[in-house]
Amino acid sequence: MWAMIVKEFQQLRRDRRTLAMMIVLPLMLLVIFGYAASFDVSKVSAVVVGPDAKAFSQRLTSPLSLRGTEPDGSLATARADLKDGKADVAFVTGGKRTLVLINGADLFTARAAQTAVARMTAEQLNPTKLLAKLEAALPPTAGVALPSFQSPRVEVLYNPGLKTALVMVPGLAGVILVFIGTLIASLGVVRERQAGTLEQLAVMPLTPWDVLIGKIAPYFIVAAVDLTLVLGVGMWLFGVPMRGSWPLLILGALLFLFVTLSIGVLVSSVSQNQGQAIQLAMMTVLPQILLSGLIFPLASMAVGVRWIAYLLPLTYFVQISRGVMLMGQPLQDLWQPFLYLAALGVVVVTAATLRFRGLLNPSPGGGRQRRRHAGAGSAS
Amino acid sequence: MAEPLAEVKGVTRRFGEVIAVREVSIALRPGEVLGLLGANGAGKTTLLRMLLGLLPPSDGEVRLFGASPSFAARRRLGYMPQGLGLYEDLTPAENLAFAQAVFGGARTSSPSEFPPLAVGRLPLGVQRRVAFRQVLQHHPQLLVLDEPTSGVDPLMRQRLWQEVRAAADEGAGVLVTTHHMEEAESCDRLVVMADGSVVAQGSLRDILADKETLVLETADWPRAMALLEAAGMAPALVGRSLRLPAEDEQKAREALSVMAFRLRRTPTSLEERFVEIASPGR
Amino acid sequence: MTWGVRGVSLRYGAVQALTGIHLELPPGEVRVVVGGDGAGKTTLLGIVAGALSPEAGEVSRPVAARIGYLPASSGIYPDLSVAENLAFAQAAYGVRGPAVAERSRLLLARAGLLGIEKRLGGELSGGMRQKLGVIRAMLHQPDLLILDEPTTGVDPLSRRDLWWLIAHAAAEGSAVLVATTYVDEAERATELLLLDRGHAAARGAPDAVIAAMPGTLMAGDDPPSASEAAFSWRRGRQWRLWAPEGAVEVANGWRAIPPDLQDAVTVALLRSEREAAQGGAA
Repeated sequence: MWAMIVKEFQQLRRDRRTLAMMIVLPLMLLVIFGYAASFDVSKVSAVVVGPDAKAFSQRLTSPLSLRGTEPDGSLATARADLKDGKADVAFVTGGKRTLVLINGADLFTARAAQTAVARMTAEQLNPTKLLAKLEAALPPTAGVALPSFQSPRVEVLYNPGLKTALVMVPGLAGVILVFIGTLIASLGVVRERQAGTLEQLAVMPLTPWDVLIGKIAPYFIVAAVDLTLVLGVGMWLFGVPMRGSWPLLILGALLFLFVTLSIGVLVSSVSQNQGQAIQLAMMTVLPQILLSGLIFPLASMAVGVRWIAYLLPLTYFVQISRGVMLMGQPLQDLWQPFLYLAALGVVVVTAATLRFRGLLNPSPGGGRQRRRHAGAGSAS
Repeated sequence: MAEPLAEVKGVTRRFGEVIAVREVSIALRPGEVLGLLGANGAGKTTLLRMLLGLLPPSDGEVRLFGASPSFAARRRLGYMPQGLGLYEDLTPAENLAFAQAVFGGARTSSPSEFPPLAVGRLPLGVQRRVAFRQVLQHHPQLLVLDEPTSGVDPLMRQRLWQEVRAAADEGAGVLVTTHHMEEAESCDRLVVMADGSVVAQGSLRDILADKETLVLETADWPRAMALLEAAGMAPALVGRSLRLPAEDEQKAREALSVMAFRLRRTPTSLEERFVEIASPGR
Repeated sequence: MTWGVRGVSLRYGAVQALTGIHLELPPGEVRVVVGGDGAGKTTLLGIVAGALSPEAGEVSRPVAARIGYLPASSGIYPDLSVAENLAFAQAAYGVRGPAVAERSRLLLARAGLLGIEKRLGGELSGGMRQKLGVIRAMLHQPDLLILDEPTTGVDPLSRRDLWWLIAHAAAEGSAVLVATTYVDEAERATELLLLDRGHAAARGAPDAVIAAMPGTLMAGDDPPSASEAAFSWRRGRQWRLWAPEGAVEVANGWRAIPPDLQDAVTVALLRSEREAAQGGAA
């Protein structure tokens, strides 16, 4: 096994491009996702049209920002403004009720606009103010106790600014490990197959387990370095907090890394060439990024899709890393994701080992590949 | 006679409907160089894989060092695949150290023997020498070489064969698969496979069986070639003469009756004999 | 008109790839360049084909449209079918019509490739791909047909078909130049050129190359003594010993034998190696 590990390290060291990719890619992804992939909307531009435009425009509150008022305008003008992209929201005054038009083509801005409009309306219907008006209108009568209304106080825990980066960075660490683990590890075995050295390994006194561990070990170390790098930079650049226990996070990360690398090696062992390996690896990476709950909440997924999410290791790592870093959850609260991750690990590693046994020490099922060749008439 | 190092007895291998190897029996003894010949699809690789324990036979028995192929047997085995089995991004020394570490044992190779460059950047002849060193350095008792000298010049081929011979002289059994008759002629014994079966087996002399080939000398060989082909024969051009292995002299003379020619007989070459034995439908 | 090169040399950086090479390519004859990897075969073929320009020397060749060239990689598109590969070659050389179609069908039939026109280039076995490559190169009846290692990695049955195609091209009047690493294929040439490190180590008709071998060749059953080992090699179980200065006194059991082409080529390479070593030392 040691021989395999040394050899893999030597090869990795020779492969400067891959090595550079393994260090640069995570940082690049972190910065791109951290800065660009922000779902925070700080500004929603608005226009107000109709006779009461001037007066109404005074009442706009942040993040609504006034782009212009058009007292002569009508519903048609408002629609045109939205279509031109001049504004995200248009208020049409003058009717019995004020009409609000929101551009739904940009999902996050539209949501922010909706929230802002709702808040604005709520404030204008503020029960405290209403009560005050009511009190003033009634003659002071002793013995009449008016109910006391108070608006609820809202407090956001764990991420008070509701910043995207804070939620994304812990999960991103997972995404990066998925990339490194699956994509790069997926090339490991297939390279040997293409170079014709796999056959050589097969007759050497090496067990499938030797080869599997030998293949995983170097990437494991590089990925661990990556993880440290990403979390470090994430905390420094985006102010991501670490409220929980480091050992717990590290345990989760190692477990996750092991599963991910095993998937990579498994992908590699079923692929015939590097192109196929990359395609297959992408097929396991993309669903993880989209369905792991990193971007879209699990709860809002259709049931079938959610079940797919439950089969993806990243889903659990996102829960673990967010739980530990943002919420400071202890193991008691996170035992479920840990358990499921470990279960996935057992399944994948078993599959990879069996597959390796098929490649290196075939049992009767191991002849599948030859059969294909024999069918093509080229084997022999 | 010494106990065979490797032996297959009545071995058959099926892949679904296809029978890749059909009731083959061969034995390889210490000190012997056995050449395995056959066209693509004849079943050589499948037989080899069964012998190495990489593929179980559908029927029959495979014995490696007197037992079923086992993990322990691998230590006594040296296998050089057609693609050499070297890591192109590692230096010769690193490649050799890897194999050494896997097989265990003392370090025997001097690292300075080969240049400290990645194997992929070395000339093919040097790569071959590294591969030979890798496969020989743990002194395997059974050596399996798949097309061991393809691509090298004739002198290098002789020298590599010298190493094969030296291993055999020390008591190793060597199994060589090859498409080239120059290599085949260096073996002690030959096994010819066609369509999954052994169609001939024995020494070079046994295989050649004193067969003769007609050699045709004429001033206008293209015309002679056309006439012979029209008569259903398959002449081969060698220089300016035509060779007609396994053809009837009378039939050739009749076909050529319209032109001047000289016909003589010469021993059939191994390649010609091989084509005759191994051609499907003959 | 005889094509060929006179005194061509080419250097790649510090490497002298070819030095003063002569080669005549008369129509209707097969000439073979034999040598190992890195001997300069592909460079020479590239110069003859016009893909490379020599630094010194003369080249005479027909116009590009009258040349057929098979690169070492076979030049078959793996993602095009057999028929599409041939159609592309026809379009590229501007030949079409029923005569070409008939010729294509005949060649495919002789090469055992009929009925696989729809198969993709990438799905062909090595031998099939090489045969298709040669057919593609000779489809337009070129004046000069250049084939870079058409038989490397090809089994003997496919090799027989390949040499039939080569003979057919020569019979039609093409000048044919074939590169190979195997001496038994050089025997099929009217004249051969043995390349070693870019130098001509031997040239001429096979019989002439054998006759021109200086010194004496001896065969023996036991290894030669250390002083003689420099000029000895193995042929099968036997040893060969070459005495440069004519007859020498040797131990019992050694006898002088007439060399074959294999021996003559080995001796030529040994001498070339000795000269290179002496040249390097001087």
